[in-house]
Amino acid sequence: MRTYSRGVAWAMVSPWVIAFALFGLYPFAFSFVASLTDYSPLRGTAHFVGVSNYARALNDPAFWNALANTGLFVVGTIPFTTGLALLLALAVQPAFRGRTLFRVGFFMPSVVSVVVLALVFKGLYAPNGSLNALLRAVHLPAPSWLLNPDTALPAIMAMDVWSASGYYMIIFLAGLEAIPGELYEAAKLEGAGPRDVLLHITLPLLKPTLLFVLVVNTVRSLQIFTEVFVMTHGGPLHRTSTVVFALYEEAFTRFNLGYASAIAYLLFAISLVIAWLQMKVIGKPGGMHE
Amino acid sequence: MSAPAGSVPEFAPRPPSLGASASRWLWLGPLLATMLVPFVWMVAISLAPGAGESLGRALRGPFSLDNYRALFGAARVGRYFVNSAVIAVTVVILNVATAALVGYTLARRRVPGEKFWTLGIMATLMLPKQVLMIPLYLVLAKIHLLDTYAALILPFAVDAFSIFLVRQYVLGLPMELEEAARVDGASDWAIFTRIVLPLMTPALAVVAIQSFLTNWNSFLFPLIFVDSDSLRTLPVGLALLSQTEHSVDWGFLMAGSTVASLPVLAVFIAFQRRILSGLLAGAEK
Repeated sequence: MRTYSRGVAWAMVSPWVIAFALFGLYPFAFSFVASLTDYSPLRGTAHFVGVSNYARALNDPAFWNALANTGLFVVGTIPFTTGLALLLALAVQPAFRGRTLFRVGFFMPSVVSVVVLALVFKGLYAPNGSLNALLRAVHLPAPSWLLNPDTALPAIMAMDVWSASGYYMIIFLAGLEAIPGELYEAAKLEGAGPRDVLLHITLPLLKPTLLFVLVVNTVRSLQIFTEVFVMTHGGPLHRTSTVVFALYEEAFTRFNLGYASAIAYLLFAISLVIAWLQMKVIGKPGGMHE
Repeated sequence: MSAPAGSVPEFAPRPPSLGASASRWLWLGPLLATMLVPFVWMVAISLAPGAGESLGRALRGPFSLDNYRALFGAARVGRYFVNSAVIAVTVVILNVATAALVGYTLARRRVPGEKFWTLGIMATLMLPKQVLMIPLYLVLAKIHLLDTYAALILPFAVDAFSIFLVRQYVLGLPMELEEAARVDGASDWAIFTRIVLPLMTPALAVVAIQSFLTNWNSFLFPLIFVDSDSLRTLPVGLALLSQTEHSVDWGFLMAGSTVASLPVLAVFIAFQRRILSGLLAGAEK
């Protein structure tokens, strides 16, 4: 390739260079430095405090509570979201009349604002709302969902499974469409039934996609915030306070920016470790070709 | 961008028989209907003032547009809508322009430190937003942009994912046309605008659509970076309205939610093939 005037090339990438430096690299480094200080814009001073913000988080029951809630959220939603997404993808992959309608319909929650979805579910979950009307009609217990400390988090989790499945369905579809058709034809010639095809061809070849879905969804779920902000504001009794919600409160209602930065970095580290573990456990044996 | 027809596994006979289609409809239909109930609830409640939060009462009517009149009568929500639109459209334009320029350059030209910039894009893609939330807030405070439109536009004007998408797309384009133009003595700029840009349109369309969906729905940053009511975006405005009202007016909130959903749903329905195939292509990388 011929090299053009460096000036032109530089000018053309400069928007990225500037944005990356100003809104990426600098803030990233800055927040790490901030996490080592007691910076608060209210006082306007910052003193170096070493790792004491990290130590503070590890001794803070509010942080552990938020971490436990977030963990529960991740563990309690991802198996269902992944299972439902895979099921939907398998269901809408083969050609049938109206297939697009189903793909579009299942994906719809993914394009709408999470604020809107959260408001709608807040209404559906209201003590005398439509969900409870339905439950009463079939003589099932009708708890007060978001107002009850025991049901609030599961209610938000159920909404997340509903709203996220369509998105991961599309990712699974991409994985399904990448499986060479010859494999299916060969299996058919050898007389394999649909169950054998699913267990021995589709699922093994879908493993890279499964890994991708799990990692992306875990990282996203660890950052759950908007639903909590809109539906419960962390309550009742802090039972829905997640790490990012606690971080938001610490940073923007109490203005402890140093401490909040440490929480942000802790969450980042946790995300990295979990993603790495997932790749280790699922990605390793067999790899892409099994 | 979707997979070639030959790779579609043959679970169902092709062309699909009516029987096979009907059996799928039989179990997928009710599932889809259930999953769409929340949207039905949203629209029904917004159209039936006085129904409270009861779907049963809402479906019995009477229907009226009173909630929508109240929505735009209360000047704030109209203002939120305009803010969302101005910000989302500006960000989309900037995203497309910078992604075209930077993505193309990284794919085709030798840029000093090219590896570093490409690596930076990958790193940015993986970095969780909340790590950047506090320092970005401080950066914006330092350059006196907090509580302005610029705070909701500039940090998002150059998008790593968009650049990456365009770069990958350009890498897949044949070089011959550009080389021929070069031999004919076309300038760098002419090659970019007259030859490459038209070829990039499909990728830029995907960038525009995804950027619009993301930015129209953006919540965390607009919540933090803006304090004045007159600068609020629709999602933030709705979320705060739902919390400041003493008794929740579901009809009003659902009218607002419907209005907030219409632009993205319209874009989605109009471009669903591009959006879904763009995602399919993105996931395969």
